[in-house]
Amino acid sequence: MSDEEHHFESKADAGASKTYPQQAGTIRKNGYIVIKARPCKVVEVSTSKTGKHGHAKCHFVGIDIFNGKKLEDIVPSSHNCDVPHVTRTDYQLIDISEDGFVSLLTENGNTKDDLRLPTDENLLTQIKDGFAEGKDLVVTVMSSMGEEQICALKDIGPKN
Amino acid sequence: MQGFSDGGADLAQLQSTMHTIELACSSIQMHINPAAAEATLLSLSQSPQPYKICKYILENSQLANARFQAASAIRDAAMREWGSLPPEDKRSLISFCLCFVMQRASSPEGYVQAKVSSVAAQLMKRGWLDFAAAEKEAFFYQVNQAIIGIHGVDVQFIGINFLESLVSEFSPSTSTAMGLPREFHEQCRTLLELDYLKTFYSWVRDAALGVTNRIIESDAEIPEVKVCTATLRLMLQILSWDFRNDSSGMKTGINVFSAGVRPDSESKRSECILVQPGPAWRDVLISSGHIGWLLGLYGALRQKFSRDGYWIDCPIAVSARKLIVQFCTLTGTIFPSDDGQMQEHHLLQLLSGILAWMDPPDAVSQAIENGKSESEMLDGCRALLAMASVTTPILFDQLLKSIRPFGTLTLLSTLMCEVVKVLMINFTEDEPWSWVARDILLDTWTALLVPMDSTGGIPLLPPEGKHAAANLFALIVESELKVASATAAYDDDDASYLQASISAMDERLSSYALIARAAADITIPLLTGFFAERFAQLNQGRGISDPTETLEELYSLLLICGHVLADEGEGETPLVPNAIQTHFTVTEAEMHPVVALSSSIIRFAEQSLDPEMRASIFSPRLMEAVVWFLGRWSHTYLMSPEETKDINYNFSHNYEHQHQSLLSRKALLSFFGEHNQGKAVLDIMVRISVTTLMSYPGENDLQGLTCHQLLHSLVRRKNICLHLVSLDSWRNLANAFSNEKSLFLLNSANQRSLAQTLVLSASGIRNSEASNQYIRGLMGPMATYLVDLSNKNDLKSIAQQPDIILSVSCLFERLRGAASAAEPRTQRAIYEIGISVMDPVLLLIEVYKHESAVVYLLLKFVVNWVDGQISYLEAQETVIVIDFCMRLLQLYSSQNIGKISVSLSSSLLSEAKTEQYKDLRALLQLLSSLCSKDLVDFSSDSIDAQGTNISQVVYLGLHIVNPLISLELLKYPKLCHDYFSLLSHMLEVYPETLAQLNGEAFGHVLGTLDFGLHHQDPEVVNMCLGALKALSAYHYREMAAGKQGLGSHAAGNGNLQEGILSRFLRSLLQLLLFEDYSPDLVGAAADALLPLILCEQGLYQRLGNELIERQVNPTLKSRLMNALQSLTTANHVSYTLDRVNYKRFRKNLNNFLIEVRGFLRTM
Repeated sequence: MSDEEHHFESKADAGASKTYPQQAGTIRKNGYIVIKARPCKVVEVSTSKTGKHGHAKCHFVGIDIFNGKKLEDIVPSSHNCDVPHVTRTDYQLIDISEDGFVSLLTENGNTKDDLRLPTDENLLTQIKDGFAEGKDLVVTVMSSMGEEQICALKDIGPKN
Repeated sequence: MQGFSDGGADLAQLQSTMHTIELACSSIQMHINPAAAEATLLSLSQSPQPYKICKYILENSQLANARFQAASAIRDAAMREWGSLPPEDKRSLISFCLCFVMQRASSPEGYVQAKVSSVAAQLMKRGWLDFAAAEKEAFFYQVNQAIIGIHGVDVQFIGINFLESLVSEFSPSTSTAMGLPREFHEQCRTLLELDYLKTFYSWVRDAALGVTNRIIESDAEIPEVKVCTATLRLMLQILSWDFRNDSSGMKTGINVFSAGVRPDSESKRSECILVQPGPAWRDVLISSGHIGWLLGLYGALRQKFSRDGYWIDCPIAVSARKLIVQFCTLTGTIFPSDDGQMQEHHLLQLLSGILAWMDPPDAVSQAIENGKSESEMLDGCRALLAMASVTTPILFDQLLKSIRPFGTLTLLSTLMCEVVKVLMINFTEDEPWSWVARDILLDTWTALLVPMDSTGGIPLLPPEGKHAAANLFALIVESELKVASATAAYDDDDASYLQASISAMDERLSSYALIARAAADITIPLLTGFFAERFAQLNQGRGISDPTETLEELYSLLLICGHVLADEGEGETPLVPNAIQTHFTVTEAEMHPVVALSSSIIRFAEQSLDPEMRASIFSPRLMEAVVWFLGRWSHTYLMSPEETKDINYNFSHNYEHQHQSLLSRKALLSFFGEHNQGKAVLDIMVRISVTTLMSYPGENDLQGLTCHQLLHSLVRRKNICLHLVSLDSWRNLANAFSNEKSLFLLNSANQRSLAQTLVLSASGIRNSEASNQYIRGLMGPMATYLVDLSNKNDLKSIAQQPDIILSVSCLFERLRGAASAAEPRTQRAIYEIGISVMDPVLLLIEVYKHESAVVYLLLKFVVNWVDGQISYLEAQETVIVIDFCMRLLQLYSSQNIGKISVSLSSSLLSEAKTEQYKDLRALLQLLSSLCSKDLVDFSSDSIDAQGTNISQVVYLGLHIVNPLISLELLKYPKLCHDYFSLLSHMLEVYPETLAQLNGEAFGHVLGTLDFGLHHQDPEVVNMCLGALKALSAYHYREMAAGKQGLGSHAAGNGNLQEGILSRFLRSLLQLLLFEDYSPDLVGAAADALLPLILCEQGLYQRLGNELIERQVNPTLKSRLMNALQSLTTANHVSYTLDRVNYKRFRKNLNNFLIEVRGFLRTM
């Protein structure tokens, strides 16, 4: 087992990297992939061959996780693809400023004030209304490849 | 518009209504305000007694569409009001329709005539059981007069047409729905077959005879042709009838020992539907020279094909041919038990008539290629197929011998050879005629060659037929190879991969295999030759020429060989095909053709282990065929369990031959047996598998085939496992699996399957301790890695890295595979592994809460693990596992409740919903597995000893999961199904625990039950009714015993809210009386209704009275009153809840609904 552990340890050191290489054949539906330098969620994978006796290639349809645009790519299945490092962090919502920015409470007690309200109507009204009603709201911020966006909201009860 | 009731209507009123209807019809046609027009038409057919106005429109309107609508309004209204129409009205409606069509027989609007005629037929059927014989006779007298032709050709045609509608109405598969139970349709079918079918047939036959001469004598097309075509069509329709009254049927077994005719023709796998009308039909169909007339008619038509009005595909010719083909399928007791002589004569007569359609084959196929229509030749092939389905191969072959120097099999073979030759030239075309011909002829071979009975006795061909089969097979292989090499370069992107193409080709290949096996001693060496040839070509051309064409040829050859040598197991272990067992007399294994072919393929496959060979020859696609072949072949031949057994087959003749072939069979099986080459071959297979898994990165199809077909089939047999675990190559695979990273590159399904396979192979280890040790060695390192990972301080940040996600997913896929392979012997080790990753699982669920794919994987692992373990666990262990499951549920629920995630992309959003559905389904499965502990328990002590109440646990679980299941999510059918089956199980088995739930939880459970009652899926409704029955029966029994039952839940909450049982009684009655549901549910509904009524008698009385009060019509009122009365009193229904009483009540409810639902719903 020591052998394997070593492998992972060394990989873990590269933690700062924005993307990781992964063989195309192992990327599954619902996983992530970088297509045209954008982080995408894979919604469809199909395989085909280059000629009958050639090698398999994967056809990916991905959806940009930030702007929802559809992107496609074809990669030989034994080649590596870039897989984005996608993280999601929960913050407690402290304030919504007039100019459309939110103020969030980080785990170590600082505030994070550089995020805009989401553009999505549904989420926007949920946040605004919930905040106005004085609910305790937790927002989830998704970040990948240097971009950040509020992607989910959770009501953790009127008073905790 | 308020309907078109025509009570006391005067002429002006009729006129204006007709005008309205005509306007509506034309505005629909011109698409002006169609909704309003449709509403007008609907109100016509829904108005009470609209017959007068409809008749008026039919007789007077100039607009054909309006007449059509009027006819359908008559039909709708009469069907609805049939029960209350006076008998004379019923009769007059039918005779009105009949007279109408007869009088306007020459009308150009055929569709109106056809509609009216079918309305008459439907009304006749509706009243079939009410009318007296004389009344029917009166109608049919009129029809017969028409068919005889005394009113002219047009009326004759109309008469035949009417019978056509009538027969199709009475045949259950083509009948129109009438809102009556199936028994009614069945009864009508039986009565028509008994009383009229044969009479109809003789009428139209006589009509046909009457016009035949005129058709034959006249040079141009004459009106009689139309009549004759209609008669042929009707005869075909009658012969396609599903005859049941063949009273002396097959079961009596008169024919069992007769020579040529197959006794079990019904069980034959064949495309044709056989016609078995029974002895009563002999005079009409056989002895009266009917066939001779038909063949003569068609012969005469053939002469006319070049002239005006007749051609090969003209309606009369097509109908005549169809009828001739139908006659070929005639069989059963219509032929006397005279050793099949009459049937033989019958078939011979047909064959001599048909022969000209396809003989000589080369000339016919040439003519078709030059532009002649192929339909006659195809019909000829169909006739051969039909004959093959009713005869043995010997009789089939003999038929032709009396008129030609060769047998029918030779004709079949040359015919098919011609077709295959044409196919070789035209394979690029889309759907050429030769495809169709090939498929029909292949079916013919299949019908002849497929084993006849369960003992697997195979039909032996006569020597000449065998040679014909061998010739044909050689040509087939040649053509397949040619097609393969010609299409090798095609880049078929449309995912026509091995699995897909195999299953599409499978049927064709298995028919080829039947032909090959019929002459196995010639065809198998032939295949060996082909194979060696291609292999040599490949070796010579290595590095010089492009091998693609040869690769594709080898690919096809492997598929063909696989089919010829072995059968598909379909879950069973397939034996060596009988044809192969009996065809050989070689007793030395090395000389055995099957051994030679198998060995040469295995040697070829072995070459793929050499990296250089692999790179130059073994393309992924070729490897797929190799792996597929090995998988299929090993099922039958590798270490066959039969090897050691002595099997006595009863061959009635030729003892010497039998003995020889037994020896030969033994030699064949022992060659690849455990003590001979078996182990070496097994080793080669394992090494090839390792190669495909490691050296073909990203070839998911190939690896899938290796994992699911080849490896999986190896570990299924214990005697193979025994050798497997002792092989170094297997140990290497296991070692690589647990300690190396390269196998991480397999995709998830393959990871899982490989883990399962490796765990299953433990059954080959002789003692239990050693096999547990083996599992620990195999899976332990993975568990350790997960534990280490979860103990890391920076888990939260590193966990999101793609590489960590990949390893975690892989490892859990593997654990899941291993968990699902748990067997009693290895259960211990897998239990320990599961226990060791419990905490990591909870931690990872927390960490990956936004990574739904990983969460799902974790849940699935837990589901499979619990499912495999629960029944073995001791009480103490059960407590641990249950505690873990509850923590898991709570954690999952706290993460997901109240969560709103959004995305700009709608497809991602629906994706998220699907993921949520899958998670919940997994959780429900988890609860169901926990539930099963109460039913199946192998542990030494009862779990009650530890004070664990499974039902409470599961209700608690349901309570946690319930809020996550929104009604929106219940739209997923599988989730819905799982949820309701769990719910109904819980309510049926543990109603008392439900009673103890608090108001909110109780309310939610019952709310979903109410939702389920109105679900579209009858199965869901059925489960809900079952739950309701259990619930109310429980309450009733408890109350009767003086206990609380459902207590406050049932009693309701003062005046504000009524108790739940009252609510359900109300809604169930509403459902039964006024809503749409499947009639299959009535039984289950009765079972639920009885205890509900018993619990809530007061309310039931009130509801009944309300129903009666609402009814204004006094006759209906009294009918309803009586029906309600007998619902609860007839058949001695009592106040008990035992089986007999339920049964009686079911019957009562059925009668009740038949009696009142009709008018309650329509009035």
